[in-house]
Formats: sequence, structure tokens, C-alpha cells
Amino acid sequence: MQRKRFDIRSLPRVIMLVLPGLIGMAQASPARAQTGEELFKTHCAACHTVGGGRLVGPDLAGVGDRRAPEWIVRFVQGSQAMVKAGDETAVALFKEYASIPMPDQPLSEAQVLSIVEYTRGGAAATGALTPPAAAPVAAEPTQAEIEHGQALFQGKARPKNGGPSCNSCHEVVHDAVIGGGVLARELTTVFGRLGGQGVRSIIGAPPFPVMQRAYLEKPLTPEEVSALVAFLQFSDRNHALQQPRDYGPKLAASGAGFTALLLGFYTVLWRGRKRQSVYQAISDRQITSSN
Amino acid sequence: MNIRSQISMVFHLDKCIGCHTCSIACKNIWTDRKGAEYMWWNNVETKPGTGYPGKWEDQEIYKGGWEKDGTGIALKGAGKKKGLANIFHNPHLPVIDDYYEPFTYKYLDLIESPAGDDQPTARPISMITGEPMDIKMGPNWDDDLSGTPDYARKDPNLLKLSPAEQQAMFQLERMAFFYLPRICNHCLNPACVAACPSGAIYKRGEDGVVLINQDVCRAWRMCVTACPYKKSYYNWNSGKSEKCILCYPRIEAGYAPACMHSCVGRIRYLGVMLYDADQIERVASSDDGSLIQNHLDIIQDPFDPAVIASAKANGVADSTIHAAQYSPTYKFVKKWGLALPLHPEFRTLPMLFYVPPLLPVMASLSKVDNTAQSQKMNDIAKYWPDNWLYDTSTEELWGTLEQARFPLEYMANMFSAGKTSWVADRLKKLMAVRIHRRAVTVGDISAEKAAKVLADTGLDARTAEDIYYLTALAKFDDRFVIPAAHREQAIEMLEFTGDVKGSTGFGFKGGTAGRGA
Repeated sequence: MQRKRFDIRSLPRVIMLVLPGLIGMAQASPARAQTGEELFKTHCAACHTVGGGRLVGPDLAGVGDRRAPEWIVRFVQGSQAMVKAGDETAVALFKEYASIPMPDQPLSEAQVLSIVEYTRGGAAATGALTPPAAAPVAAEPTQAEIEHGQALFQGKARPKNGGPSCNSCHEVVHDAVIGGGVLARELTTVFGRLGGQGVRSIIGAPPFPVMQRAYLEKPLTPEEVSALVAFLQFSDRNHALQQPRDYGPKLAASGAGFTALLLGFYTVLWRGRKRQSVYQAISDRQITSSN
Repeated sequence: MNIRSQISMVFHLDKCIGCHTCSIACKNIWTDRKGAEYMWWNNVETKPGTGYPGKWEDQEIYKGGWEKDGTGIALKGAGKKKGLANIFHNPHLPVIDDYYEPFTYKYLDLIESPAGDDQPTARPISMITGEPMDIKMGPNWDDDLSGTPDYARKDPNLLKLSPAEQQAMFQLERMAFFYLPRICNHCLNPACVAACPSGAIYKRGEDGVVLINQDVCRAWRMCVTACPYKKSYYNWNSGKSEKCILCYPRIEAGYAPACMHSCVGRIRYLGVMLYDADQIERVASSDDGSLIQNHLDIIQDPFDPAVIASAKANGVADSTIHAAQYSPTYKFVKKWGLALPLHPEFRTLPMLFYVPPLLPVMASLSKVDNTAQSQKMNDIAKYWPDNWLYDTSTEELWGTLEQARFPLEYMANMFSAGKTSWVADRLKKLMAVRIHRRAVTVGDISAEKAAKVLADTGLDARTAEDIYYLTALAKFDDRFVIPAAHREQAIEMLEFTGDVKGSTGFGFKGGTAGRGA
């Protein structure tokens, strides 16, 4: 046997395959040099304000004065790791904000520091800096909004910019909605946990890497966001009234039962089938006699 | 009357030497491809034998062909209801071991093996899996009666024979065999066409060639089950079924199909026959007793003005009608009544006919005085100075048929649905022609006797000479009367040829002019 070894002749091909990736990686960071403000709006504004008060997470105005810069960098890059490691401040914050974990942000130290620098300026300086969180909370959702949100969630209505429907990844306990995906969090009570503004800002500018990527070029319109928030609010309020059927082990059992039934049916239907080669007996005898 | 044209074939089994040249010609042209290695669109079987695929004639196993259903007929193993019930699993399909697993040998091992104590061997390799395998079967494993207890004795045509008759066939002194070359019969009532759920199989209007559209085939494989001759094959690589196409690209260009062109024994004849399509249903559903007669009657006389008029009304070209009038197959099948269809009881109305082989008869050995005969020999001729005569002649001219080494029933099971009179009639004609020619060339039979024998079978000397000519002397153009395909008309239906009129061929079809560049 000849073993497959690395062949020097295949090296150019490997380089051809790997090189573009390396170049792309190298180019990624300088090409997207952004200011602290832009970074804040992309990565933080879904949950945080600067001088706008608490949202999902704390108001970040003057955070650079409250915490050491190294601590902030570590927390932004891996908050859950710090909670698990038992950092007192991190644990306290985690508990204070309803144990909602802050996703790890793919930001470099310099980028985090530039955001901190931005928060230092504070929202007090300019009103324009006030993030959308400061907008007044929407009025009670209309029935039409809820239904449109449900349609968007299920994918029955296509988002205007062609983004994916929510239940590709998320699940909501709702009688009328067939079980969604389990790739991301279950969203039945997300409205209660994060509040209307929190949900609104997460949908509008997702801070989670996968969701961010999914909606990067296909963002949801403000109307769609409102409809989805309305739907999530509705399902949060009414989830106790929902009675989605849970077959449990019965489902598996009935599946097995019907399989057995089907096999039995075909055993009868095909009882006269051709079971083996017409030469089977000959080859059996020849093999037996040659041993 | 609804006259259409059909390219039909006649195989003269008396002339087949079983060389398999036809099979190889076909394989080289059409089935030398991945997934088609096991297919033999043309194959040659030894009879008695199980054939390829094994026991294909036994429709209790494979459920092919049609069967009587009240006044009409129904497919035995396929059709609408049965097809739907079995659409995801066809329970009567032949498996690869019924054909044979195609193999090659690892020849490079003979050259590249490192030096060792033992001679290197080339192991058999499966052409399907690529793995080493044990060879169990080949496409003609039972050739020339090899493995008789396993193959020849299991011939489905023997089932209706009594045990004593079967036993007699396989006595060493009596053993005999003949060859049966088979291709697609291009039937008038094809079961494969009727069984296809996708509608992928069709019978070509202009010449009746049955084809599978490879773009429409959805691999249900109902045709494989439905064809009682097992001449539709499933290509496991392309996921489509394939079958003999009667080399239609060659026919359209005026060439004989590859199997016929290459035939060493020149046993194959090809020509047009005109048939009445309105009768197909009635003929296919006729009683067992009248089936063969009706089958032959559906073929119409190409000289009949009414037939010609109906053919013309159906768009059959004058050249095709002319070809039908000179068709060698029409002569063998209808004019002389020498050929019979293979297994007409499958009711597909096959359009490939066989001239049954004149059976070898039992000879006798007697003591004679050979001195006078020996003196006639040339000096350099080899002769045995003994006084034995190996005698195959008999007192009674027709007695030899009953003394044949095969019971007539065996042949009748193959060619006339068990009716021995049909086969006997054809064998008598063959023998009468032979006796006539012996009277002409050797002269040891009197002319009166030869004439009487011919008259007994309804032939005359002129017809006997014609049969002799087409059997023994026929040239290429006598054996293959291929009608013009009129491709120029077909092209004109698809594109406007006026644009290149006067271009003397240059520029036609875009690339023609630049083809040599």
C-alpha cells in the first residue's frame, strides 16, 4: 500500500487556496477603521445609552471614570468568562441586570478604548448623541401590528429588504406558530426580560455576531421592527394562555407504530416478490463445495 | 386500415455460429460506458440454456409482458395500479447477479508487483465497486452447454416437456444445441412503452424503433420489469434506463445496424414491413390458438393498392413503400412463411423473427462396403479405410423431424407458444429446399422426388431457388433493404434551408465551413 503523503507539487495549489484568505484577514481591520461613535452605534447602542439612562444594560456615560480601562476591555471581550471567574464587579453587574449575559464583542483593545473615549464626551455635550433608546416608548400595539409581526416572525410575510425570518433560528411559544429553530434563544418572554426598548434596539441593530451578519445587508425597516416588537410583546403577555401540543414520547411511539404497520403492510403486499438472484442456489452450492 | 411502416428483422438460426461478434460490435459502439458494463443490448444465448439475464423467459419470476385479462390484455407486472403500488420498490426486478457482475482484471499487478517467491496474478476486480471480487457469472456462462446441470437443464422452455423427454435431450449421444442471438424486438405492442410512468419510451413513427428519451426517464424501472425479453436495462451511473436503439443513427445514414453489419454468419436480415396499426389491440388480445396467425396477418401486402394508399395517407414515403416491396424480412416472414416470432405468447407482437434451426437428427452407424467410394477419392484426399457409414438420412423424408434430437415441443415453446405444427411446417420447408438443392447440385436425389417434397410444403422450384439465394448467396444490399431516412425533410421542418441555398454546402449549420480549420 502506498500511503498518501504531502506532495510538494501540491504546494502552489495550497498557497493559492490559503493566500486570499490571509490577505482578506490582514485587510479586514485597517479597511474598517471606525471612530468610537460609529463603533458604539454598531456594537453597543442596542443595549446601552450614553447619558440616556438604563436600557438592557447600564448607561455608559462616564464609564471610563468608574472602571479601569483594562477591566473594561476584558469585560467587553469576554464578560461571561469574568463572571465565571468570579470577578466581583462583573458578578454584581450580571445580577443587577437580570442575569442577561452580554455577548462577547469582536473588538480590539484600541477599539474598546476609542468607545470609552467617546462615552467620556457624554451625551450631555450634544443631543444628537442621544441613542434611539431615549425615544418615547411606543403606544399599545394594534392588532394589525401584532398580526404583521407574527407573519414576519414565521416567514409568511417577507421582510422588505429580504432578511431571514425570525423562526429560522428562534422559537416562540404560540399556538399559531409552528416550532421555530433552536439555533438561538427562545423568545417567548424576551419582551419581559429586555423591555420594549431593548428588544427594539436589538432587532434594529443586532449586537450578536451571527444575527448582525444575517441582517447586515438586509436590515429590517422601522415598521417591521415595530411589528415584531408588538408581536413579541403579545406573546410575552399571552404565553401563559398558549397551549401548544406536546406529544412527548407518544410522538416517537406512534412513529415506530406506523413504521411497523407499514412494514407489515408491505410484507403482505410484496409476499410474492423476487427475493434473490435466480443463480443464488448455484453460487451457494459452488461456494460450499469449494471449501 | 391504418398502415404504418416498421423496420423488422429476421435472424436465420441455421446460419448462426455463436461467435458473439454481434455482441462485441454492439458493446464497442454503445455500452462501453460506466454504468453500462453489464448491459448487452445484443447477446447470443445457447439453447437449451438459462440465457441472460438468468431464466428471462420465466415470467413467473420476472412478471414481464402481457397476459389475457377478460377480453383484453393487461401488463403482468406493471401498469397503472400495479405500477402505483410498486412505484417505490419494484418487487420483480432482476438484480445484478441475475445478469452478472461485470469484472476486469488487475493486469498492472502482473507488471508492477515486487519480486517475490510466487508468480504475480491479476485478481478480478468488479467494474461496479472497483473492489476485488469472486466471479460468479458471465453474460454467456452457459455457452455451448457448459454447466449443463445448472443452466441448460433449468431452461424455462423445458418446463412443459415431460421428464422423459427432458431426460432424453441430455443423453450424451443425443445432446445438441443451437444459438439464439437476441436484440430488442421493437415490438408493435411494446410492454415497456405501456409500463413507463414517465412516458419516456416511445415508438418512432417513421420506422417503429422503440426508444427511451434520456431526458424524460425518471428511473422508475417499470420497463425493465415489463419487457418480457429483458432488453431494457437500468444504467446505475446515469440513473436512466437504456435499450437497443437499432443503431438508428446508422439506419438513418443507410448503414445496417452494427450487429447486423458485423455478423460473420450473415444470419441477419433487415427490411421494412407495413402493418395495420388498427389491428394491434385485437391481435394482441386474440386467443392462444389464433395468436400467431393473427400476428402474421397484421403484416400487410406491400403490393396491395389499398395498403399503399393508406400508407401514403399516413405519410409513409414512396421510398419506404418501395423498400417494403423488396424487404427480405417480408419474404421470410410472409411470402415464404419461414420465420416465427420469439415467444409470441408474451403478446408484445415482436418484430424480430427467427428462422428456426433445422434440427440435427440422430445418425445411425452401419457396416457397408466403401471400396467403390474410396476409389473415387483424389490421391491427396484424406480418407479412412474403414467400412462404416455414419448415416443421417432416413427412408422417410419427413421421418427425420420426429427423429430429431430435440423434441419439437422444445422449439415450439420458444417460437410458437407451444404449437408444434408451426415449427414443423417451417422446418419441413427448410428441409425441402435443402433436398431440392441436393437434387440440383449433387444429383443423388431424383428430380421427381425433390419436386414432390417441395409440392408437399407448398413451394415450387422457383421459390426454392429464391429461398436458397437469399439464404446462402445474398449480398449486402439483398440482406439489408434500408429505406431512405429523408433527413433533409426533417431538417427543413426545424430550420429554413433557403438561406444557404446555392452555398454548395458551405456555411450550412454554422460550423460546417470552419470545420477543417
